[in-house]
Amino acid sequence: MNRNTQKWYDKPVTKIILITIAFTWIFPVFGFVLSSFRPGEAIKRESWWDAIYTGKLWTELTLANYSEIFFADNLDRSFYNSFAVTIPSTIIPITIAAFAAYAFAFMEFRGKEPLFLLVVASMIIPLQMSLIPLVQLFKSGVEVFGLPIIPALDINGTFVATWFAHSGFGLPLATFLLRDFMMSLPRSVIESAKIDGASNMTTFFKLVLPLSVAGIAAFATFQFLWVYNDFLVANVFLGVYKPENLVVTSHVSQLAVGAYGEAWHLRTSGAIISMIVPLTVFFSLQRFFIRGLIGGAVKG
Amino acid sequence: MKQQTQQEKLKSIGISMLALGFFPLIWFLFQAILFRELTEIISRNLLVVFALIIGSTFVFLLFLGMDKIIKLSPKENRESLEARMFAGPSLFMIALFLFYPAIRTFYISFKDRYSNDFVGFENYRWAFSDPEMLVTIRNQIIWLIFVVFFVLLIGLVVGWLSDRLNKGEAFFKSIVFMPMAISAVGASAIFKFIYEYRPPPLTQIGIINGIRVSVDRLGTQCMNNRIIDGVFNGFDNPNCLKPIGWLQQRDMTNLPFAQNLNPDGFISSILVNLPINTMLLMVIMIWMFTGFAAVVFSAGIKAIPAEIMEAGQIDGASELRVFRSIVIPYIKSTIIVVGTYMVVTVLKAFDIIYVSTRGDLETNLLAVKMLDEFSKYRNFGRSATVAVLIFVCVLPIIVGTAIRERENTQS
Repeated sequence: MNRNTQKWYDKPVTKIILITIAFTWIFPVFGFVLSSFRPGEAIKRESWWDAIYTGKLWTELTLANYSEIFFADNLDRSFYNSFAVTIPSTIIPITIAAFAAYAFAFMEFRGKEPLFLLVVASMIIPLQMSLIPLVQLFKSGVEVFGLPIIPALDINGTFVATWFAHSGFGLPLATFLLRDFMMSLPRSVIESAKIDGASNMTTFFKLVLPLSVAGIAAFATFQFLWVYNDFLVANVFLGVYKPENLVVTSHVSQLAVGAYGEAWHLRTSGAIISMIVPLTVFFSLQRFFIRGLIGGAVKG
Repeated sequence: MKQQTQQEKLKSIGISMLALGFFPLIWFLFQAILFRELTEIISRNLLVVFALIIGSTFVFLLFLGMDKIIKLSPKENRESLEARMFAGPSLFMIALFLFYPAIRTFYISFKDRYSNDFVGFENYRWAFSDPEMLVTIRNQIIWLIFVVFFVLLIGLVVGWLSDRLNKGEAFFKSIVFMPMAISAVGASAIFKFIYEYRPPPLTQIGIINGIRVSVDRLGTQCMNNRIIDGVFNGFDNPNCLKPIGWLQQRDMTNLPFAQNLNPDGFISSILVNLPINTMLLMVIMIWMFTGFAAVVFSAGIKAIPAEIMEAGQIDGASELRVFRSIVIPYIKSTIIVVGTYMVVTVLKAFDIIYVSTRGDLETNLLAVKMLDEFSKYRNFGRSATVAVLIFVCVLPIIVGTAIRERENTQS
């Protein structure tokens, strides 16, 4: 029997199919990466595969594109902006959601079940449903029956608008995931802490939070990559017309369309620089990211 | 004595309003206004530093402040107040940033472009009669069918086959999964380079056109502007194939094999009218999300008990048979979850279209159309209507998930 299954495993068809798929997947990136190291003139004069064929490629490799895009084209500024958007947009929803998850997991209060169902349902409200009113809210506030609840803020185009938008969109998933994670913690430990007279705050900070690090890391990785790679929210709340407001994705999108004509040496190098951060995070925290993804399979 | 309890009750109500209503509002406004003012007065680099500090710490001040206020209340009320303090901000933000806007979008969709007057169902009539909208809806349906189908199919194949490997499984999955980590904007840039078209005397640098113009037909020397032994070889010979602007092709009529098809036949008319640019743009999304499906399916396949698989193998079932009769039924719920995720993702697909064609040339999708109506044409009513359409498509999924969640919590 064992030999029989062994024969299955080694079927060359399996390997051929997989290698074909892997090759298909890596191939688009290959020419793109190669072109980022060629001078702009050369990219347009000779296709990259001809350059490999004639052997000219090896003589023309250069890092000049990268220094040009980074320093002359101000991609460094977009990088700082990206971090100023991404890091708070990850920390704020995680903190708020961790408190809420603790309440939903370990505390008793009126309307707990329906409120939690509300959180779950809100996960799949598409972001598009919120955009117009949110832009209006950030500009001119909210009035209920003529009574101003939130005054005119006029914060569109500042980082704080993107923090709140991303926090709002990320919160349902974060609350849901962390509550699920906390429910799986040993209940007896938390209850005995309460019996010993520890307050909720103490239990939360000293006991539950340290035990939930894996769950928090899963969501943090997911949210970080989501916000860093996001283009829609950055486009709406920061805009693409002021160069000092560009984040990395909107900068790369400006390169890909816009007034850059056929500047493929900048498009390639810019896009590749933008991928370094998410790929690093992804490969070092892959385990957490996949868990966050699977949990967040229905995020809105 | 009774009066004192009355007084205490009032006090605790006051404190709870202060802690749960007034203070969070002040926190929200203070952060927003402080940062708005900072944006105007300090330099850009300093602003980034302040953004990191303020953005990462202010949220803790919120809970610290609420906790301090709650400590003032009588002890017997504290427990319930604390529960509300823990859950409150999350619910408040979800209500303010998701539920309130969703209801308001629905309301705006019945008003005119400046949200002044009610126009009834006028915007919805427009959505289903405007030629541009009809093309958008058609594209959205094509995307939903093909992207979801291919992501699930290739994801299942990769998940299943990589599980059969003795070694290198993680490596294969990482390669296919990698596009998930990069932005859709970056992915679109990569594929734009592949589909790149340049008018004929220029060298073709996109590989699809490059291969196309280098095809040797009838013994003609067709070269993609290559210099061989000092002789320049172009592709301007009339016998060579011409490059095609792939993302500009809204149907197949420019392709040689479709030129001879009869546009009246049922199947051939579908072939002739195949929107090739839309198809090529879908490839980008399939490329991005297949790895996700593969990883999730692979986890599901690994969870199938070994005895069941072995039983199938002993019975002499072929590999395909095992796949169909054991694997698929066993991971059915996983397939539904991934399928759901893909449907929602495709309905919200925005970046790919926005970066590659800007929605022109009949490639538009609902999410891009929504933003176009909002920021380009400034028609809030129509924009909200498109958003509602997206929501209506997602609604069955919301209901389904809620039902499944309820079943899970009850069982």
